[in-house]
Amino acid sequence: MKMLSTKNVISIDDLSIDDINIIMENADSFGEVLEREFKKVPTLRGKTIINLFFESSTRTRTSFEIAAKRLSADLINFSASTSSLKKGESIIDTIKTIRSMMIDMLIIRHSDSGVMNFIAGNIDVPLINAGDGKHQHPTQALLDLYTIKKSFKNLKGLKVAVVGDILNSRVARSDIKLFKRIGMDVKIVSAPMLLPENIDYFESDYIYDIDKIIKDIDILYMLRMQFERQDRKYYPSIREYNRFLSINVGRLNKMKKGSLIMHPGPVNRGIEISENVMNQGENYIGFKINSQVANGVAVRMALIYLMLGSN
Amino acid sequence: METINKMTGSDNILIKSGTVFEPSKGKEIISDILIENGIIRIIDKNINIDVKDESLLKIKKNSNGLSKELVVLNCQNCFIFPGFVDMHVHLREPGNEEEEDIKSASGAAFKGGITSIASMPNTNPPIDKEYLLEYILNKSRLIDFRVYPIAAMTKNLEGKEMTEIGLLKEAGAVAFSDDGKCIQDSKLMYEIMKYASNFDMPLILHEEDYSFSNFGLAHEGYYSTKLGLDGISVLSEELMISRDIMLAKMARAKIHITHVSSKGSVSLIKRAKEEGLRITCDVTPHHLYFNDSFLESYDTNLKINPPIRSEEDRIALVNAISEGVIDAIASDHAPHCETEKNTTFKDAVNGTIGLETLFSASYTKLVKKEKIKVSKLLDLLTSGPAKILNIKAPELKVGAKADITMINLEKNKKIIKEDFCSKSKNSAFIGQILYGEVLYTINNGKLVFASENC
Repeated sequence: MKMLSTKNVISIDDLSIDDINIIMENADSFGEVLEREFKKVPTLRGKTIINLFFESSTRTRTSFEIAAKRLSADLINFSASTSSLKKGESIIDTIKTIRSMMIDMLIIRHSDSGVMNFIAGNIDVPLINAGDGKHQHPTQALLDLYTIKKSFKNLKGLKVAVVGDILNSRVARSDIKLFKRIGMDVKIVSAPMLLPENIDYFESDYIYDIDKIIKDIDILYMLRMQFERQDRKYYPSIREYNRFLSINVGRLNKMKKGSLIMHPGPVNRGIEISENVMNQGENYIGFKINSQVANGVAVRMALIYLMLGSN
Repeated sequence: METINKMTGSDNILIKSGTVFEPSKGKEIISDILIENGIIRIIDKNINIDVKDESLLKIKKNSNGLSKELVVLNCQNCFIFPGFVDMHVHLREPGNEEEEDIKSASGAAFKGGITSIASMPNTNPPIDKEYLLEYILNKSRLIDFRVYPIAAMTKNLEGKEMTEIGLLKEAGAVAFSDDGKCIQDSKLMYEIMKYASNFDMPLILHEEDYSFSNFGLAHEGYYSTKLGLDGISVLSEELMISRDIMLAKMARAKIHITHVSSKGSVSLIKRAKEEGLRITCDVTPHHLYFNDSFLESYDTNLKINPPIRSEEDRIALVNAISEGVIDAIASDHAPHCETEKNTTFKDAVNGTIGLETLFSASYTKLVKKEKIKVSKLLDLLTSGPAKILNIKAPELKVGAKADITMINLEKNKKIIKEDFCSKSKNSAFIGQILYGEVLYTINNGKLVFASENC
């Protein structure tokens, strides 16, 4: 069996192009498993995985949980609200406690950027980053790529617009980096208040008005306004946001045939995506928000399997 | 064992064959130095070291007839420097003795070749009253450690009301600072400047506009974007330096900008100096040594305020040293216990210890790498800071008090946590290879540090 070139998946940059291709191939196989009546394989029987979530999450946590269980691994949810973290236990002691439990893998989400690097230095099991602060969310990038691959044969040169709150988004940091590596043409549609001062890292052009690109793009990737990470109000109003950065029915109709609308979820209805588009989305073939969620399970199964399956 | 013997009866010391700088002649000479009763008595090419030798006994008799044991330090391959002055040290005493105290700081200072320090007032309680200043002075005198206390500019460092600058000066304060904080109220800052200038007291300014630094964790640039760390703009520092230059000009105040970190700050200070303002500045070894690419490891020992900035800023700081814009190098020694650093980057506190690496880090970067002259570095570690604080810098001359450090410049080693004798181990330099090992330090005529390798 092929293995990944990295022990931990903290940043999307930890994965080579070969790694990514293997993950995509395996996701196809696991996708088939998920369509069977009996949706389970015995591959990881006897393996124990902890889903360590210091920050609230529904879809990512559940997605990892389903993925692990479909592979027959034992998955235990450890969430900060029910743990001793509330009793003032420090993060280092929590990690040491978990280390003593002889587990095989840790899946972690935390509100602080770089927390994975800290944890990796203190525990010797494979780690998957399920989102750390404003830093990285590599499995989101993988499932987004997988979703795009299902719609387009040739990925090179695809025109992608990543729209909205780049400043506070770990999804943007993982996705844009991956899209660029694959050879896609990425444009950032945002506003200075929603962008880091220095955007050289993204190696992408920045424009402030979605109307300027809406006709030309293949993929419209809407980011969530990260209100929970904003220490003050960054944007003047929803009206202003709707004018320059939202997708509504008028703009939807201008989009190319075969183009996609994506969003990492959960959507702020009426902000990034209008109520009408959300309600009619099911009828529009390029509306991929639900496929992203479905593909997330297959991609995470592939990743966990490749990280744990061989040893 | 030999070390212990040397450390005890050590009032009379003979340093053999060390390399001494002659700044007036601009050259290095091999020399011996004889110290008797804490005073440098002879500096000469060859002082006879044989204790049985008549000539040495004569020397002994000549100087008040004392006949204590003579300690001989062989300093071949070593440079002999006057003891260094570190004008920016956080002692943590009173209040946080679990992190550092005056005694442990003295050990760390001596190990770094430092014999005089200026202490910052942000202890617990802060040094904003005479009795607190006296506490520091008394404690340090008891252990024969030269501490020049800096007192708070505002009561309880709150940035609201001015302290008793006159009384605090009379009690022994050498300067005033709210270091760690920056007074946001411009009018108050202006009044403090005007009042302090009556007493000719320098104000040591930590420059930070909170509206630009708030929630920030790292220098705002490529790496803060990449690493998802909230950025601290250079504007945070530069705006306040601009403000304080304008205020100081009007108030005719003597200001000192500490731990300057950005290219823009350097050019503001340079221009103000050219205009004739009474402005000086210092830079830390860590801002000269690191750039923000080192943060990729999320090493919390590199979480510092002001933040480690870009390579462009770092180069500007080095160039400012060559151009003479920088007046001193200071460690900003900031001890923190392990629990405060062994956590996520966001939760970790700011600061690195720096006494023990003040010289070696500066020497490695400035002299070894950037080819700046040792004599220049020496000025920045001795006469430079002394002039700012209006204190006496240690000197290598006959009749001077013996504050001396002996350093092997060619010796390098990888810095490890276990090396530090400071109570706290939070050094940004752990893992780095630094040149310039301090072999001996003499403080007030006594041998206070001898390397294990001696």
